Amino acid sequence: MDTLLDFGIVVAKGGVLVNAMLIAAAYMVLAERKIAAWIQNRIGPNRVGPWGLFQSFADVFKLYLKEDIVPAAADYKFHALAPVISIAVAITVYAVIPWSDVFTLGGKEYTLTMAPDMNVALLVVLAMTSVGVYGVALAGWSSNNKYSLMGGLRSSAQMISYELSMGLSVVGVLMITGSLNLMEIIRWQTTGGWTVFYQPFAFIIFLVTALAETNRAPFDLPEAEPELVGGYHTEYSGMKFGLLYLAEYANMLASSAIMATLFLGGWDIVPFLDDAAVLGLEPNSIPMVLLGHGAFVGKSLLLVFVFIWIRWSLPRFRYDQLMNLGWKILLPLSLANIAITGTVMLFLNR
Amino acid sequence: MPQILIDGRAIEATDGQTIIEAALANGITIPHFCWHPALSVAGNCRMCLVNVGSHKKDVDGSLMFDEHGVPVVNWIPKLQIACATPVAQGMIVDTTGKRTVDAQEAVMEFLLVNHPLDCPICDEAGQCKLQEYAFRHSKGKSRFQEEKVHKPKRVQLGPEIMFDGERCISCSRCIRFAEEVAEQPVLTFVRRGDKVTIETFPDTTFDSPYSMNVIDICPVGALTSIDFRFKARVWEMSFTDSICPGCARGCNIKIGVMNNEVLRAEPRTNMHVNTYWMCDHGRITTPDVINDSRTDGPMIRRNGVLVPTSWEEALSVAGDALRSSKPHDIAIIGSAFASNEDNYALHVLANHLKVTNVDFIKHNDHTFGDGTLRVNEVAPNAIGAHAVGIAPGNGGLGVDRLAERIKQGSVKVLVVLEDTLDNHSTELAAASASVDTLIVLSSRMSVTAQSATVLLPAASFAETHGTFTNILHRVQHFSPAIVTKENERYMGMQMSRWDKFGAPNDRWSQGVRRDNRAGWRILRDVLNALGSKVSWKAAADVFAELAMHVDGFKHMSYALLDKHQGVALGKGHSPDPAGIVYESHVLKPN
Amino acid sequence: MANVTTNTEAQRMTFWEKIYLPEIARGLGLTLRQMFRPKFTRQYPEERWEPEGSYRGRPVLVQEEDGERCVACGLCSRVCPALAIEVRAGETTAEKERYPEKFEINMLRCIYCGFCEEVCPEEAIVMSKDYELVFGSQEEGILGKEKLLIPVGQLQERLEFLRQWR
Repeated sequence: MDTLLDFGIVVAKGGVLVNAMLIAAAYMVLAERKIAAWIQNRIGPNRVGPWGLFQSFADVFKLYLKEDIVPAAADYKFHALAPVISIAVAITVYAVIPWSDVFTLGGKEYTLTMAPDMNVALLVVLAMTSVGVYGVALAGWSSNNKYSLMGGLRSSAQMISYELSMGLSVVGVLMITGSLNLMEIIRWQTTGGWTVFYQPFAFIIFLVTALAETNRAPFDLPEAEPELVGGYHTEYSGMKFGLLYLAEYANMLASSAIMATLFLGGWDIVPFLDDAAVLGLEPNSIPMVLLGHGAFVGKSLLLVFVFIWIRWSLPRFRYDQLMNLGWKILLPLSLANIAITGTVMLFLNR
Repeated sequence: MPQILIDGRAIEATDGQTIIEAALANGITIPHFCWHPALSVAGNCRMCLVNVGSHKKDVDGSLMFDEHGVPVVNWIPKLQIACATPVAQGMIVDTTGKRTVDAQEAVMEFLLVNHPLDCPICDEAGQCKLQEYAFRHSKGKSRFQEEKVHKPKRVQLGPEIMFDGERCISCSRCIRFAEEVAEQPVLTFVRRGDKVTIETFPDTTFDSPYSMNVIDICPVGALTSIDFRFKARVWEMSFTDSICPGCARGCNIKIGVMNNEVLRAEPRTNMHVNTYWMCDHGRITTPDVINDSRTDGPMIRRNGVLVPTSWEEALSVAGDALRSSKPHDIAIIGSAFASNEDNYALHVLANHLKVTNVDFIKHNDHTFGDGTLRVNEVAPNAIGAHAVGIAPGNGGLGVDRLAERIKQGSVKVLVVLEDTLDNHSTELAAASASVDTLIVLSSRMSVTAQSATVLLPAASFAETHGTFTNILHRVQHFSPAIVTKENERYMGMQMSRWDKFGAPNDRWSQGVRRDNRAGWRILRDVLNALGSKVSWKAAADVFAELAMHVDGFKHMSYALLDKHQGVALGKGHSPDPAGIVYESHVLKPN
Repeated sequence: MANVTTNTEAQRMTFWEKIYLPEIARGLGLTLRQMFRPKFTRQYPEERWEPEGSYRGRPVLVQEEDGERCVACGLCSRVCPALAIEVRAGETTAEKERYPEKFEINMLRCIYCGFCEEVCPEEAIVMSKDYELVFGSQEEGILGKEKLLIPVGQLQERLEFLRQWR
């Protein structure tokens, strides 16, 4: 009976998560357009629904109704598979994101996280982002279009280059918190203070590499319009294009959530202090956990805003600049960060 | 041989020449309205006023030069009109100095005082001498503030000519033309001063067969063609050099084309053939010959009805009919309407098939000719057809005996190029119905074309390169003016701006592009279908072969014909020089 | 290439400029401030923009009481760089003799340069204020006389504007 219930809960979580994530991604598109408009002294979409809130649905409907065009010379199987890989990988990461702390209900422990307390959660995240590159590279290659291929190539090169620095920047956090379990990492931060205070360089490196990993400006070379038309999704239309597009935003949200987890204390509301005591609430009670959940989502969305804000402020890198930054600056910095962290920890004898 | 100095250039003039003639012969144009090389001198427009003088002599009789070595000139106190001042030994003429220019500007100002500003309405705009000089020799501004004189407008002087009194600058070219060239002196000035205008004498009308030439020589838009009025602006047409097909004179003409439709024909100067003129008949009928009742696409007779078909099928049916017939069962009729090239190609076909029944129909109309340009021979190329070998071979039948033989049933295949059998006799036309296969190459949907078994649409003279040999035995070259499906690529950039840049979805570029092919090309394909190896790629190739094989055409090429404005048969090695071409309207776009 | 010095811009930069981060922060600050500035957007279908007389909208023909001003001289057609105008003249017995039997502007070709207006000797074709052009098909985009003729009263502002510059 209990097993069945657990199973039901997991399925429900999964359903809710996938839908919530897709809707969130759709709304992030709207947010992107709105923020872009504000930065440019415009209003942005405001016709569909109040303040243009239903614009995202209109966009998705439009994409559904559009003709699905496949180039005659494209490899149809892989052309169709690429967006699926992209979106599937993007969704998978959500399974391990620690949405909230554990709360007890009727003597049983529950959490909003789909796969709570997975001991290799961080490795799953890193692995999945690595797999994500297949979607993009495959999309670029199977379109049989020079722009697409260039986009796919750039994307692969860029992801591989920045993955290194990303992985290494996380090592500092691991060394401090001593766990790969994302919930453990947050629990350490609720008491020990947010890692961003200990690892500011790692945070900046992670932020930069996260921008690169999600193909966001100023690292959006795989879809650089002036040179590559649309990059790897040049030859996509209709909902296949929509999936690639949504995957991009889903990745962005996932990156933000991971950053919130690793550096900004996850569901912790007040750094260094015990939240329950400060707020006068029972620890692990439902209100407390929901407040924490709110904090987590808030932090993630703030980071999403930063992503968008950066896109509409900074010009795109040149390809050689991108590679210089990745290999000559970020990689040594992240290695130095590990060495310094290790040295300091050795002296502090922790 | 008086030597004179015009603008510092030493010029060898001939005795009795006027200054304007001497200048023109040496490529210097002095502005003028009333003077025309073919007309008497009137000297009434005053536009050609120039500064004339003689070299000043010192007391000791030596010629005087200033410190720069420039001759000191004794200018005549008043300017002289270049059109009526004969040259004299040592005369010095200045056509660009301040005195001359002042005089030109003053004359232009006077001429423009009463000239209406209706260039937007006027058909002459774009090829108007007054417009041209207003640009080049006028101040560009008018000081005249009073009301312009109003005169009769839209007066019909003859069946083809509309007169606008206000635009007239009273140069009297038309009056002199009517009197001297058309020899129908019915035009005259009436009234005086600024009220002067032109009328026909009571109960007369200017209906000479050459009347429309006054439209060309009128320096303004006072005389316009009723036939053409407002059909197009001059710059909207492209003009192509061609030869009038109206009679064997072969007047040199230009064909004005817009949207693949011939809108007008006008004479082109050729001092050997038509001088400056052409007859009204040629001018009016030439566009119709090209535009109306044309063949378009190959046709074949199925169950008694002519139906459109493909070139391949039409050519193979024609080829099969010729291949399966014995030479004496075939008769071939060339044409005095087709070019030398087409007739030559037909001659080659006859030789290949060993057909001796070869001839063409002669077209004589003893009412058509007159002493001026028109001749009784009303087909343009009878001489040429004969010269390239369209004549009965050994034991062959002439066209006159053909009807009889057809009736006897001994002619199975009849090939007719570009002609109507009715033009010979109704008998022959009727007889042609009983041949097994009637192959017709025709640009026009004539009665014969309609009764054809295989109709191969040939390009007209306005759609291909070719030559006509006129009654003076002069071989003259014409160029394509109209786009067909065949020559579309070749014509590409030779058309006017409109026709050049029009896209298929532009309504204004929807003129018909007919599926006609040059006669020599059709015959080449027939020849090749019959197993002959003919490799003509262009009309020039046919003409080159013709020049090699036919005596009269030796040494001729299109370039030579163009350079010398046509070359007489047998004179390919020593053609007449072309001579000065007097262009009345210099700014005319082409 | 010996005299070409590379990267001079980078050599001139100070240390803080070289590490970029403060400059990036400044750039972000700029865009953030922009977010709170007043918006320029016009809510188009509701808020319409009324152009001045100098505006070059759809070219139209001036219609007077006794018909069009145009005499079909074809200058607009000649000057049109996009070959958008086709004029066919007809003859009348009226004083002006000539009128446009057919006057078509292909609005799909038109680039609103106003050359036709400038060249017109009769002030017969002028640029209107009409900037709302929607076509359902290519054929609809070709406007004939019935769509082009606008009574002179509605074009006063443009005609007066043009007269300032004549």
